[in-house]
Amino acid sequence: MPIAKYELEETPWLLRVWQALGRRVGGLGVVATIVVVIAAVPLLFVIISSSQLSLSGWQALWSQRLPSLLWNTLSLAVLVAFLSFILGVSSAWLIARRNFVGRKAATWLMILPLAIPTYVFAHIYTILLEEDGWIGNAWIAVFGEHVAIPDLYSIGGVTFILSIAGFSYVFLLVRTALEHSNPSLEEAARIQGLSPFAVFWRVNLPLLRPAIAAGLSLVVLHVLSDFGAVSMLRYQTFTLSIYLQMNGRFDYQGAAGLSMVLVLLSFSFLIFERWSRSRQRYYASGTQLRRIRLRNASLFEQCLIWSWLGLITLFAFALPLLWMIDWSIQAWQQDLLDSSFWGYVSNSLIVAAAAATLAIVAAFPVAFFHTRKRSTLSTSYIQLSSIGFVLPGPVIALGVLSFILTVLSPLYGGLSALLMALVVRFLPLAVQSQEAALQHLTPSIEQAGRILGARPLENLRRVVLPMISNGMIVAWVLVFIDAMKELPATLILRPTGFDTLPVRIWIEASEESLELAAPAALMLVLGTLPALWIMMRNEKQPVSKV
Amino acid sequence: MKKYFQQGLISLLLTSLLAAATAVQAEELVVYSGRKDKFITPLIKKFTAETGIEVVLHTAKSTALLNKLRIEGDRTVADLYLSNDAGNLQTGSRLGLFQPMDKKITNVIPANLRAEDDTWVGLSARARVLVVNNNAKDLGFVKSVFDLADPRLKDRLAITHSSNGSFIAGVTVYNLSTSTGEVTNWLKGMKENVGGNLFSKHSKIVKAVASGKKDIGLVNHYYIYRHLAKNPDAPISILIPDQQSMGMGVAWNVAGIGISKHTKKKALAEKLIQYFVSEQGQQQFASVNNEYPTRVGVPAAAIVPAAGSYKVADVPMRELGTHRIETLDLLDAVGMP
Repeated sequence: MPIAKYELEETPWLLRVWQALGRRVGGLGVVATIVVVIAAVPLLFVIISSSQLSLSGWQALWSQRLPSLLWNTLSLAVLVAFLSFILGVSSAWLIARRNFVGRKAATWLMILPLAIPTYVFAHIYTILLEEDGWIGNAWIAVFGEHVAIPDLYSIGGVTFILSIAGFSYVFLLVRTALEHSNPSLEEAARIQGLSPFAVFWRVNLPLLRPAIAAGLSLVVLHVLSDFGAVSMLRYQTFTLSIYLQMNGRFDYQGAAGLSMVLVLLSFSFLIFERWSRSRQRYYASGTQLRRIRLRNASLFEQCLIWSWLGLITLFAFALPLLWMIDWSIQAWQQDLLDSSFWGYVSNSLIVAAAAATLAIVAAFPVAFFHTRKRSTLSTSYIQLSSIGFVLPGPVIALGVLSFILTVLSPLYGGLSALLMALVVRFLPLAVQSQEAALQHLTPSIEQAGRILGARPLENLRRVVLPMISNGMIVAWVLVFIDAMKELPATLILRPTGFDTLPVRIWIEASEESLELAAPAALMLVLGTLPALWIMMRNEKQPVSKV
Repeated sequence: MKKYFQQGLISLLLTSLLAAATAVQAEELVVYSGRKDKFITPLIKKFTAETGIEVVLHTAKSTALLNKLRIEGDRTVADLYLSNDAGNLQTGSRLGLFQPMDKKITNVIPANLRAEDDTWVGLSARARVLVVNNNAKDLGFVKSVFDLADPRLKDRLAITHSSNGSFIAGVTVYNLSTSTGEVTNWLKGMKENVGGNLFSKHSKIVKAVASGKKDIGLVNHYYIYRHLAKNPDAPISILIPDQQSMGMGVAWNVAGIGISKHTKKKALAEKLIQYFVSEQGQQQFASVNNEYPTRVGVPAAAIVPAAGSYKVADVPMRELGTHRIETLDLLDAVGMP
C-alpha cells in the first residue's frame, strides 16, 4: 500500500490545517472561517502597511494630525447621533403611538431619505443654499441681505447632512421596538397618573434603549466611514484625511496608520456598545398576544404631528427630490439623455443586485455559525465581519485591489474586484439582519426536522431558510440600497468604461453639469424604491387601529 | 414563468459576454483620465472619426488613478494616463509608471512644458491670475499675488481650499521663485484675511467676485472667461500679477499625458498623442476651454491675454511634481485650511 502511506505522510500542511479546522468547528465553521478571512483582507492590508510605518512617522502623525482629527471626528459623531436621536425617536413614537390621517404615508416618508446618498444631499444643499438657490432666495426674502445664509462648509452643515441622511435607521429600529412592546406597562403608568410625556420618558425610553443604541450605532458607523459628504464639504475627518494622505502624498503607510487608529476607535465603540447592551436584560413577561391600541389624535394634535413630520420630510426628502425633478426635466427637454444614460442605470442595478446576492450568501454561514455555537470564536467572527463598516471605502478598495492582484491575479479584470469590495463593505449589514432573524430559530425546531428524517441540507432548505426568509430579504434590500449608493470603492475598482449612477453623479457634479447630475440622482432614488417597498411589505403588522 | 425568466437571464448573460468579447477586438485605447470629461471628449470624438480608433475614457480623480496605475502594475488595462496637473504627471514619471515616447512627438512642445525624459508631455496650459471686481475700491496696491496677504484685503479675498490641485501647484511655483519664509508669511496673511471663509471651486470664486460679495480672487484664467461667456455684463476683469521689473511672473500649470509603461499598444497610444499635439488638436484645446495651447505657434483664444504678452514664472513644469511634498508640508505647517 505505498500510495496510502504516501498520502498519510505527505499531506500538504494547508490541507492538514483545513482538516483540523474541520474537526474543531465543523463544516459550517470552515465556511464561516473562509468568509471571515476574506472580509478581513482590507484589515490585513492596513495592518501590514501600518507596520511599515516608522516610529518617527507615527510621531509625525500624532503631533500633526491625530489630535484635530480625533476632535473633528468625535464631535461630528456626537452631534449627528444627537440630531438623529431627536429626529428618529420623535417620528417613530408619533407613528407608533398615535393614529392620524396618512400614518402609513408618514412611515414611508421617514424611510425614503435612505434612498439618497450623502454626497447627493451635500451637493444639492450647497446649490440650494447659494444666493440664487431656492433656500438662499427664501432666506434673503425672510431675513434680508444682512443676515448671512448658513454655511454648509462647517461642522453644523456636515451634521445637518449626515443626520437627515441617517436618522431613518433610528426611526426604523425604534418604531419596530415600540410596535412590539408590551402595552400593559404603559397602561399601568397611565393609570398611576403619569402624563403622556412622563410615560415616554420613564417607561418607553428606558425600554427602547437597545433599539436606540442599535440605531445610533448604525448612524455613528456611517459617520465614521462617510466619504461622500465630508469630501464634498471639505470637513476633515479620518476618512477624508486618509484619502488625502493616500492620494495627495502617495503615502500608504501614513494612510494605513490613520486607518489603524480609526479601526481601533470604531472597534472600541462597537465593543462598548455591545457591553452596555449586555448589562441590560429585558424580559418579555409571558405571552404577549394583545395588540397595542393606537390613540386617535385630535385635529389639533394631527396638525402638530404633521407639521413636525412635514418639516423633517421637507428637508430630508421633498426639497432634494423636487430639485432632482426640476433639473431632470430640463435635461429631458434639452434631449441630453442618450442611450449611455440607460447604460449607467443598468450597470448600477446589475452591480447592486449581484453584490446584495453575494453578500447574503456569504453572510449566512457566519450568522448561522454564531447562532449555533455562541462561542468566543463565533463572536469574534461576527466582530471581524464588521470590518467593512469601519474602514473607509478608499482603503477597502486598495486592500481588495492589492489582494486580488497578488493572490488571485487571474481573476483580475471585470467585476470581480468591485464585487468583492462591495461584499466586504456591506457584509456587516447582511450578517446582522440574518443573525437577528436566526434568533427566532430554537434548536428544537431543527431537531424536530432531523427526527422526522430530514438530512442536514434538506433541513436547511425546508426548515431553516423558510423561517428566516424575511430576514434574508431585509438583508438583501439593505445591502442593495447601500451598494447602489456606494461611491469611493466603485470609483476606484469599476471596470474600465463601466460607469454607474454614483460615478456619473460624481463626474457631472464636479463638472457642475447639474442638468446631467440630477437625472442620475433621480434614477438612483427610483431604483431603490422597489427594494424599500419589498422590505416594508415584508414586515409584520402587529398594530391594530382603534 | 420562472423557466422563461431563467432562460431570459441566461441569454442576457451570454449576449453581454459576447459583447464584451467583441469589444476587445476593435482597435481601442484605454485612457485613465483625471480631466473633466467635457474638455476632452470633443477632441476624442474627432480623433475616432479620423482614425477609427476607439478611445475609452476611465474618469476619476487624477491622484487616485495614479495610485491605481501603481498598484495594478503590469496588470493594468490603461494605455495612457491623462492629468490636469503637471505635479501628478511628474510623480507618475518618478514612480516609473510611464515610458518615453518618440522625440518627434514631444519636440514641438517647449522643454519646460514636458518631462526631461519624454515620459509625459504638456497639452494645454493655464495661468494663475487674479480676478477683480471693477467697482471695488482701494485695490490699486495689488501688483503681486503676495499682496493678497495685505491686511487691507481682510474679508475681501476669495481663495480655494488648500487641498485644491491648482492652489498647491501655484504655491509650489511661488516657493521655488522666492523663499520659503516669504511664502510662509504670505500664507499666514491670506489665512488671516479669509478667516475660514474658503471656496470649494474656482467658479464660485469668480461668481462671488462678480456679485461683489468679494473684491478679489486667485483663480485659473479660464474660469473668468467661462463666467463672462455666460454673463457678458459681469463687472469683472483679469489682473495679471507679478509683472513688475523684478517680479517673478505668473505661475503656469499644464494638463498633460503619458504612455503607460505596460501598454501593449504603444504605437496606437503615440498616434493619439500625436493628434493632441498637432496644430488641429491644439487649436481645439484653445477653443474648448480657453486654455493656452502648449505647441509653439498655436495661439490661444482671442479673448485670452496672449501667451507672450506677459512674464511667466521661470519654473519648469516637472518641478511641480518634484517639490510637491514640500508644498504640502508647508501648507500643513501653516495650518492652511
